[in-house]
Amino acid sequence: MKLLLLLALAAYAPQHAGTPITPELEAKAHTIGKTIRCAVCQGLSVADSPSPMAQSMMDRVRELVTEGKSEAEIHAYFVERYGEWILLEPKAEGFNLIVWVLPFVFVGLGLAVIARNTAVSEDARQAGPAPEAADDPYLKAVRDRVEKS
Amino acid sequence: MKINWSLVITGLVLAAALAWVLGKGFGRDPHEVPFMLTGKPAPAFTLERLDGAKGEAKLADFAGKPLILNFWSTWCGPCKIEHPVIEWGFGKFGDRVQFVGVVYQDSRENVDAFLRESPPKYAMLFDENGRAAVDYGLAGVPETYFITKDGKIRYKHVGPLDPSRLTQEIRALLEDAPK
Amino acid sequence: MSASLVGQACILVALVAAAFGSVTAFVLTRRGDPRGHAFAVRAAVVFFCAMLAANLTMVSALVGFDFSVQYVAQVGSRATPLVFRIVSLWSALEGSILFWGLILSGYVAAFAWRYRKEEARFIPYAVGSMLAVGVFFAFLIAGPATPFTEVSPVPPDGPGPNPLLQNHILMVVHPPILYLGYVGMTVPFGVALGALVSGEFSERWMAPLRRWTMIGWGFLSCGIIIGAWWAYAVLGWGGYWAWDPVENASFLPWLTATAFIHATIVEERRHMLKAWTLSLALATFALTILGTFMTRSGVFNSVHSFTQSDIGPTFLVFIVLIVVVSAVLLALRSHLLVSTGRIQSAVSRDAAFFLNNLLFVALTFTVLLGTVYPLIAEAVRGVKVSVGEPYFNKMAVPMGITILFLMGVGPALPWGQATKQSLRQMWPSVSTAIVVVIFCVAYGYREPGALVTFALAGFAANITLREMFLPIRVRMREKKEPLLTALGESVRRAQRRMGGYVVHLGVITIFVAIAASQSYVTHAQATLKAGDTMQTQQYTLAFKEIVQGQEGNRRFVAAKVQVTSASGSTFELLPRVNYYPRSTDPIGSPAVHDTALGDLYLSLLAHDPAAQTVTLNTWFFPLVSWIWWSIPFFVIGTLISLWPVRARVQAPAPPPPRDAEGASA
Repeated sequence: MKLLLLLALAAYAPQHAGTPITPELEAKAHTIGKTIRCAVCQGLSVADSPSPMAQSMMDRVRELVTEGKSEAEIHAYFVERYGEWILLEPKAEGFNLIVWVLPFVFVGLGLAVIARNTAVSEDARQAGPAPEAADDPYLKAVRDRVEKS
Repeated sequence: MKINWSLVITGLVLAAALAWVLGKGFGRDPHEVPFMLTGKPAPAFTLERLDGAKGEAKLADFAGKPLILNFWSTWCGPCKIEHPVIEWGFGKFGDRVQFVGVVYQDSRENVDAFLRESPPKYAMLFDENGRAAVDYGLAGVPETYFITKDGKIRYKHVGPLDPSRLTQEIRALLEDAPK
Repeated sequence: MSASLVGQACILVALVAAAFGSVTAFVLTRRGDPRGHAFAVRAAVVFFCAMLAANLTMVSALVGFDFSVQYVAQVGSRATPLVFRIVSLWSALEGSILFWGLILSGYVAAFAWRYRKEEARFIPYAVGSMLAVGVFFAFLIAGPATPFTEVSPVPPDGPGPNPLLQNHILMVVHPPILYLGYVGMTVPFGVALGALVSGEFSERWMAPLRRWTMIGWGFLSCGIIIGAWWAYAVLGWGGYWAWDPVENASFLPWLTATAFIHATIVEERRHMLKAWTLSLALATFALTILGTFMTRSGVFNSVHSFTQSDIGPTFLVFIVLIVVVSAVLLALRSHLLVSTGRIQSAVSRDAAFFLNNLLFVALTFTVLLGTVYPLIAEAVRGVKVSVGEPYFNKMAVPMGITILFLMGVGPALPWGQATKQSLRQMWPSVSTAIVVVIFCVAYGYREPGALVTFALAGFAANITLREMFLPIRVRMREKKEPLLTALGESVRRAQRRMGGYVVHLGVITIFVAIAASQSYVTHAQATLKAGDTMQTQQYTLAFKEIVQGQEGNRRFVAAKVQVTSASGSTFELLPRVNYYPRSTDPIGSPAVHDTALGDLYLSLLAHDPAAQTVTLNTWFFPLVSWIWWSIPFFVIGTLISLWPVRARVQAPAPPPPRDAEGASA
C-alpha cells in the first residue's frame, strides 16, 4: 500500500537533475542503470523508471561511475543494501546457472533429436518417400523453367 | 492397452514440479523489497540541517546513544499521518533515544512550509537528492531505522509506525535485545 | 428480484448445463449412443445462454449503478462515463473471470453448433472436454471468484474502476481481443483431447484443430500488439515491452500456438510430428491457464497485475489436472502417433520447419523459466532474485534473429532435399540483404544487432514477396489472366500459404521496428521554465505554460509544449497527468507525435504550478509505430487463411486429393 502511494505520488515529487557528467560516463551509467532494478517500481530498471526513487538510485550510479567504480563494484554496492533482488539479471553463478544453462541444454537436446531423425546416408535418402510436392502446379512449372535456364 | 510410461512419468514430474514451485509462492509478498543492512553498521551521512541549527549534520554527531532515523516526505500521505506518532515518541523517549527526521526527495518550499506549520521538535535533515536514502537501502517512505548506540542498524520498519509498535521497538532498542 | 440473485441463478444454470453436457457426452458416446452428441450440443447452447444472461445482468447492474451487487460496489462509480461503466466488466478479477466465462461459452457453443451434424466420434468428446473446462470456470464464478455477492447495506456510490484502465481507449479493446485469443485456445485443447480419447487419428480432426487454433492465434497476436501499444501510450516510460510476468503470460501460449501452426504443415505433408503437434495444442491451453494463474494469483510481482485474489490454489489444482490428463492420454495413445516420415536432408524445408519448432519451443521454455525462476530461487535458495529485461533480451534476441532467418530461408527451400538450383535462386534475396547492409552503413546506422536484423529482414521480405507474386506472374503470363483474377486465383488455390506469407510480412515489419526503435532511440530529460527550450533529435521543444482543467470525471495538469521540427513546421503537444476522483493515483498520459519515420514521445515527469516549471522526459523512437501498424497484416493474413471457400470451389480437375482448404505451403 505504501509503495503504491509512493508510486502514486511520484508526479508530485520534485525531480532533481543529477550533476552533469561527461557523455561517456553517462553512457556507462545508463548501461549499468539498465541492469539495476528500481526499488519501488515493479520490474523496471532505474534507467527506465521515472519515479523519484529510481532517479536517486540512478544519481548514485552516476556518482559511483564518476568515482571510477566498475560495474561489478556498483552491483556489489546495491546488492549489499537490497540483496540480489536488485539485479535485473541473475548472476551467472551457483544455482542461478540453471537460467543461463538450461535454455542451451534444451536447444542442444532438440538439435540432437532433429539430427537423429535426419537421414545422413545416401541410401536412406533414396529409401525415403519421394518428396513430390503438391505445390501449386504453376509455381512448380515456373520453378522448373528457371532451373532449366 | 499399451502405455508409454515414460510419458506418464514426465507428465507427473512436470505437474509435481509446477505445483511445488507455484504452491511455494502462496503467501509470499511479491512487492516486498529485501533489506540486507540489518545488523550492519549504519552508513555515514552528511546532510543539511533544517531545524534551525545551521550547517550540516553527520551520523557521527549522534553517536553514543540509540538513534531513530525516520525518512519521510511532504508529498507522502502516510508520512503525514505518521508524523505525530514520531513526535509523541520523542516526547516519551527523547531523553533516552535520539530522534532524527530525514526529509527525502522534496522541494525546499514544501519542506519549509511544512516545518513552519509544525516546527521540528527534534533534529531534521534534508536528503534532497536521495543520496543518503540509497545508502541506507530505502525502498519508499516512510521508513524508520532503529540504530543501536554502537551504530548498528537493528531494525528497519517499513510503512507508518503506530504508537504501540514504536514503543515496542524503542524498548527493544534500549535493551539491545537480539532481534 | 435482485441482480445478485439473478446472476447467481444464471451461473448455477451454466454450471449444471456444462456438467451435464460434459458427463453425458463422455458416458453416452463411450457406449456408442449417438444421443451423447446431441445432448452435448444442447448443453453447450444452454451454457452459452446462461453465461450471456449472467454477463448482461452484471452489465446492467454496472450501467444502472446497482451497488447492491458486490462487484459494482467495488468497481462502479456514479462519476464514470457510460463506456467505462461497461468496460468495468473486465476491470477487476471477478468481472474478468465472468467475462472469460462468456467468451468460453461462446466458443464452445459455436464449435458445437458448427459440427452438430458431423459424425466423427471425436466431436462429442471434444465438446465434452470443452464443457469440462466450462465447469471449472462456472465453478470459479459461482464460488471462489463470485462477483454476485449481495452487499448490505447498499453503499451510495463506489470508487470506480482502476484509473489505469479508464485512461485510454485502447483499454476498451485490448482485454476482449486478448481474451478471445486466450480463451480461444480452449477449442484446440478440446479437439486434441477428443482425438486422444476417441483414438481416431484420421485427417478429419486436423482441419478443425488447425482452423480453431488460427482463430485464437489471430486474436492473441492482435491482443499482444495492442497491449504493447497500450503500455506505450499509457505507462509513460517510453517502452512497449518490459518482459513483465503479465506480458510473458500472453506471449507463452502465442509461441506454442505459432509452433503448432507450423508443425501442422509438416504433419500434413510428411506425416511426422503427430504426437508433437498434439502436445503443442495441449501445451498452449495449459499455458493460457498458467498465464491466468500468474496474473491473478498475486504470486508474481508485475507492472499491471491489477487483479489479485486467493483463487490461486483453485487454478493450481486445475493446471496440475490439465498436465496429468494430457500426459496420461498421450501415453495411452502414443503407439498410434508414431511418425512415418524422416527428414531427408538438413538443407530442406522439412529441416527448416523442425528448427523453427525447436526455436519456438526453446523460447517458450526460456521465457517460462525466466518468469518462474524468482519463485524457484526463493523456494530452493531462500533468496529473492529478479529476472528482468536484460536477461530476456539476451536470451530472446538471438533466438528471434534465428527465427527471422528461418522465416526467409524456409519458404525458399524445397521439401525433401535442396537442389543446387534452389539454392542458387536465393541469390537475389541474399543480394537484397547485402544492399540493405551497404545502405545502412553508408547512412551511419552501424549498430551490429540492428544491422543483422535489417539484413535478414530484407532477405526474408524478398523471398516472401517472391513466393507471393510468382504464381500471380505465371498465371498472368501463361493463362493471360488479368492481374486481379490472377491474384484471386493464386490466393484461392493456396489460401493458407498466402495468408501465412502476409503474416510473415507483418512479423518482418515488427522485427525492423523493434530493432530500429531499440538501437537508435534518442532520450533527453530537462526541467524547463516557461519559455525555455530543449532539443530532442531534430525537434526543438519550447515549454509554454502549465494548463489545468476538468474533463468529465477527471482533472488534469498538462504542459503545453510548442514543437518545431527541422523542416520548420510547428505543432503543439500536451503531455499530461490525469487525476481521478477517489483515487490517489495520478496517471501520466504521454503525448506522442507519430510519423512513419518515428515518434516524438513526451512524458510529464514533474510539474510545479507555483514556479511554473515542468520536468519533461522526451524520446525519439525511430519506426516504433510500425509495430502497431503490423496489426492489419495479422488480421488480413489470418482472414485469408481462414476464409471459407469450400462452397464455391469445385474439385480441381486432375484430383490429387487435397485438403479443401487449399494447398499447404
